[in-house]
Amino acid sequence: MSNAEDRDNKRVETDEQLMAAFTRGSADAFSGLFQRYKAPVFGYFCRRLEDRSQAEELTQDTFLAVLRAAHRYEPTALFRTWLYAVALNILRSHRRKAIFRAMFSGKTAEHDEPLAVSFVETELILREAVGKLDPAEREVLLLREFEELSYAEIALVLHLPINTVRSRLFRARTALHDLLAAPKSAGRQLVRAEEH
Amino acid sequence: MTTLSHPVAPEDVMALIDGELTAGEAAAVSHHIENCAECSALRDRMRSTSQSLSDWAVPPAPETLDATFQTQLAAAARNSKLLRMGSGFNLRNWRIWAVAGGSAVCGALALVVFTTSISYYGEHAAAKPQQLMAYMEPDSASAGFAMASRAAPKTRTVEPVAPNDKQWFSQAGAKVGIIGGAGGAPQPQTPAGAPMIARTASLTILVKDLDSARSGMDAILARHHGYSAELTISDEAPSRGLQGSLRIPASDMDAAVAELRAIGRVQREKQAGEEVTEQHTDLVARLANARETEARLRDILANRTGKIQDVLDVEEQISNTRGEIEQLEAEQENLEHRVEFASVDVELIEQYEAKLGGPSTSISNQMRNSFIAGLRHAGSSLFGVVLFFEEYGPVLLLWLILLGVPGMLIWRRYRRG
Repeated sequence: MSNAEDRDNKRVETDEQLMAAFTRGSADAFSGLFQRYKAPVFGYFCRRLEDRSQAEELTQDTFLAVLRAAHRYEPTALFRTWLYAVALNILRSHRRKAIFRAMFSGKTAEHDEPLAVSFVETELILREAVGKLDPAEREVLLLREFEELSYAEIALVLHLPINTVRSRLFRARTALHDLLAAPKSAGRQLVRAEEH
Repeated sequence: MTTLSHPVAPEDVMALIDGELTAGEAAAVSHHIENCAECSALRDRMRSTSQSLSDWAVPPAPETLDATFQTQLAAAARNSKLLRMGSGFNLRNWRIWAVAGGSAVCGALALVVFTTSISYYGEHAAAKPQQLMAYMEPDSASAGFAMASRAAPKTRTVEPVAPNDKQWFSQAGAKVGIIGGAGGAPQPQTPAGAPMIARTASLTILVKDLDSARSGMDAILARHHGYSAELTISDEAPSRGLQGSLRIPASDMDAAVAELRAIGRVQREKQAGEEVTEQHTDLVARLANARETEARLRDILANRTGKIQDVLDVEEQISNTRGEIEQLEAEQENLEHRVEFASVDVELIEQYEAKLGGPSTSISNQMRNSFIAGLRHAGSSLFGVVLFFEEYGPVLLLWLILLGVPGMLIWRRYRRG
């Protein structure tokens, strides 16, 4: 690595600067981006897919796609927004392929909603509740809660008006609150019945 | 919760938690929430929902992810292959293969269509006339003959240049002679046993000046000892034209047509040949029979005696036979004339050139005419569309049902993902 590249890596801090350094030829810059985002992107797929190995595979695909499409990256957009847009496209493509394969293999397609991979009760309840949300609203909710994207960033990723993002997020949170409240009340009723 | 009782929307309460409001908006909403139990409860619900979700943990990213990615990145850094894959040509990209495959199929189809048309035109517009010319032309190398020209004596020997040639007239030493009986009309020079072909051609030529083109055409006719069987000149706007049916000696036809082509720009050309050998042979045979019958009847009339009625009957028979002979001779002559003189239909069209200072119609008339023409065009195009759908509509509908419905279902299922 040249001295100039070393100086670049020391100086760059933001995602966008790392991307710029990568497009100039610094492989370490992209490694830095990968280290920053591998866990969030893996979590993104884990919350949306039932199979962890598939989540891992799609995470690899996402970074590979970013690597290939680096020349198309516009510094005017935040890298994070762009990365999640790429991840979303890969997820959609994966789902389309799964449904298409299922049409011919006769097997049922992979569930659209995330399923349990852990039997911890809280997590199970959360997964089930989130899985019951409307897919469009769920996507907004997950991007906000876990990927911590702003409304404007979500609007960019999903190609939606910002007001639609707000209203969908509100409906999703309200629906999720109701869904999460229902099992608790049901559980409390069950406990009371056992006490009697 | 209504906007009448709450100056802030529920989404604003949510946005406050998410930090999506400006400082001013945030202050206003916070102030309202402090004084509104309902909005305060909503804020708590939203917070608790977000808090609940934070319990949803995912496993850490596996280490294998690092290893795989580092390998890919190393490969990219080594030869920039991955970067090139995104920016340029990539053989693993299915789109490139799809485009290449589509182009190949289109190219193959175009090639098939092109070669089919070439072979069609080659067979029907070029090869056939060439074959015919080979039969007709005295010095055609392809026919393998050194034949006498039209001006040569009527009987001469034709010597084959290529003895192995299995063409029509490969009989060595075949005589070129007069076809038909003695005392008939002048006969075309055709080798005995060779096909008799009546040649025709039609030319549409665009010329700059009709008058000079006509002079040129007349000169060509005179040069080749031809004549004009019919000539029509049209002087109507927007461009003048001439239609002529020319008769040119068959042996001179190619040269004459070549000279006619030079008059202007050829828009359309067609050449054809009709073989009339069988028709001619039949005529000759019938004529010979008729002449023989006539001779026998004359012999009967001269040498036999009998009743007057019998003599009258024989004379009537002779008269009928004579009429038949003359009719057959006329047919034969006509047929041979068609063989001897090729028919060339020429259409000369003068290029339209607008002239300054010419008679002009008024603007209102021009506008009216244009409007009527426009209406007519609109009507004809509409009618054309109706005719098209009438003709191809059922087929399109059939294929739309056969392919469109399953395609739409597949696409819907595909998009559902």
